Amino acid sequence: MRINPNPLSDLLSALSQTQQQINSDLRQTASGQSVNQPSDNPAAAAQLARNADQTAEADQFLRSVNSLSGEMQNADSALNSVITTLQRAISLGVEGANGTLNASDRAALAAEVQGIQSELLSLANLSYQGNFVFAGTATQAAPYVLDSTSPSGVRYVGNSGVNQITVGNHLTVAANLPGSQLFSAAGADVFQSIQDLITGLQNGTGIDTAVDAVSSAYQHINAQRVFYGNVMNQLTSQQTFLNNETTQLAQQQNNLGGADLSKVLSDLVNAQTSRQATLEAIGQTQQTNLFNYIK
Amino acid sequence: MSSLNASLAIALSGLASEQGALEATSNNVANVNTPGYSRQVPVLVASDPIVEDPLTFGTGVTLQSIQSVRDPVLESQIQQETQTQGQLSALVSALSQTQTNFSSTGGDIGSAISQFFDSVNQLSTSPADLSLRQNVLTAAGNVATAFNVASNNLTAQRTSLDQGVEQTVGQINQLTAEIAQLNGQISNVENAGQSAGTFVDQRNQLINQLSSLVDVSVIPSGNSLILTTANGTALVDGQHSFQLSTRPDAVGVQHIFSQGSDITSSIVSGQLGGMLAARDQQIPAIQTQLDTLAAGLANAVNNVQTGGYDLNGNASTGHNLFTPPPASTVGAASSLSVALTDPALIAASSDGSAGSNGNAEALYALRNQAVINGQSPGDYYSNIIFNVGNAAANATASQSASSLVLQQLNDQRSSVSGVSLDEEAANMMRYQQAYAASAQVISSINSMMQTVINMKNS
Repeated sequence: MRINPNPLSDLLSALSQTQQQINSDLRQTASGQSVNQPSDNPAAAAQLARNADQTAEADQFLRSVNSLSGEMQNADSALNSVITTLQRAISLGVEGANGTLNASDRAALAAEVQGIQSELLSLANLSYQGNFVFAGTATQAAPYVLDSTSPSGVRYVGNSGVNQITVGNHLTVAANLPGSQLFSAAGADVFQSIQDLITGLQNGTGIDTAVDAVSSAYQHINAQRVFYGNVMNQLTSQQTFLNNETTQLAQQQNNLGGADLSKVLSDLVNAQTSRQATLEAIGQTQQTNLFNYIK
Repeated sequence: MSSLNASLAIALSGLASEQGALEATSNNVANVNTPGYSRQVPVLVASDPIVEDPLTFGTGVTLQSIQSVRDPVLESQIQQETQTQGQLSALVSALSQTQTNFSSTGGDIGSAISQFFDSVNQLSTSPADLSLRQNVLTAAGNVATAFNVASNNLTAQRTSLDQGVEQTVGQINQLTAEIAQLNGQISNVENAGQSAGTFVDQRNQLINQLSSLVDVSVIPSGNSLILTTANGTALVDGQHSFQLSTRPDAVGVQHIFSQGSDITSSIVSGQLGGMLAARDQQIPAIQTQLDTLAAGLANAVNNVQTGGYDLNGNASTGHNLFTPPPASTVGAASSLSVALTDPALIAASSDGSAGSNGNAEALYALRNQAVINGQSPGDYYSNIIFNVGNAAANATASQSASSLVLQQLNDQRSSVSGVSLDEEAANMMRYQQAYAASAQVISSINSMMQTVINMKNS
């Protein structure tokens, strides 16, 4: 059978194929990625897009956790101050209930408790980055305002709203406790009990009852404060989880689209060797034919 | 009775035939690199003998014809495969360009959607913060821009394919005109009883070029041929070519007409078929998916946005975040834009108080909600990436396979019709030697003649 007398076009197409392989290897080496365009591996490209979205989401959850943690710590330490302040009020009340004190002694104690009252007011009106922390969701105005017509001396102008914040897939945390639940709870009203204590000290009557009321308020705050501790614990463990997730997503991304550099480089060497050989073959074929020998 | 003159005539026929055969070899050598050239072989036959009872005398040799060596079946297979190759090349080139819109660059649609939802989640941590609200508006703007850019790129690509269609039709018309002209020449030559090998080579070469542009069926008709597209639209009939024309439709897309009828949808292969497939099917399908995603996302976001309260505590009824997309969703991606300019109008609040994040949370929840044809925005987008990548990968794989087939067919063609210089050198030596021998015979006859003449004189 007759053989194709002109194999050059075969060799040229072999050259262009090896060149294509070299280009692809170089692209992978330069980018470190095996999927540089969707057609390189459509399924992996689609999964990489999901992976990028999930990574962005996890990064965002971490940022949200950090923002929340700051607010939580602030609120928690404010409540801590409220608790120590209330303890001081209780010991002042107990001191005032001692029958040996005279009116002016009690008046001095009452003045001291008034100081505590304004401290508590300022703590309850804690603001963090422009938001009043204990105002429910009405965060743009101080939740407690002085009001002489109110029996407790203050009026709550916040609401009872609680924000839920998504910090993970299927994980939302409550982000605040409204003042109505903390300081103005029925039967444990901080400002009412302090006001009663001041009135009691000034009048010398009902001090014990008032001290009991302050104690209930103190216990209530102490119990409520657990909320912040719990959320902070949740946030900390979520932070750990998100960091792990980010690592796993990065690992997955690498598995899906990372170039296997040792393989790519060995492919590259092979392709270059093959190209070199083809070039030499082209150079050597067709140099001679029968015409060269006709004398 | 034999005669010296008869021998002389025989020797002369040898000289003439070998000379003619050498011409064929010479022509082969000259055309060794001519694309589409088929090697020619001289057909030498012994001349009719003279019978002079009881002897039969040969009367020399005749160069009957110079034939081109070709395999018509192979030629037709090459034309078929060239059509496939042309179609796939055009498709691969179009889809490679298309998929650049879906590479993860940071400014792509997927990243923009991610960043939008990220900004909403951040806003949720401090819903009254104006700078966080502004971030949401900016991110929404980036989403709109990413959709606009991708959709407009696809439209621009269709426009340039449209121009390609017009140019290709121009090339087709030129080729069919040339083929019709060659048909005429071939008929003339063959009607005169001669071999039209070179013209047929040229015509085959042109048909191959035409095959790379459009689907062609070749129907032999006497010593001419008829070319039609796959669905039977005439391109060439003998010496007549039928010109194709293009005319834009209502939306400005070029349609292809032959003798008044629209044949656009019937063209499936060749470069033209590939361009039409990309322009009319592949790219519009991707645009439709982008429109679905853009409209679905915008509607879902607007739906949540208008059910909440803005920073000032006002109900957000009617205050869409995105300009509502057209109900048909056609053009939703290219026209997507942000309707709000005041960040305070973002409805983060669900109870009317500025610090409430209930509606921001509802907005954020859309990230993983099946709001677009039963899929979340991210899933739907990753499906688009898969579809685009898969179409490009399939076309590329088919093209490689078709290249191999074409390569093999061309190899076979070359093994039948290609010029081998070794062979030609050997032939040349044969013809040269035969020529020399015939000349030697003439020289001998001459000396015999001399002997005869001298006989009379002596």
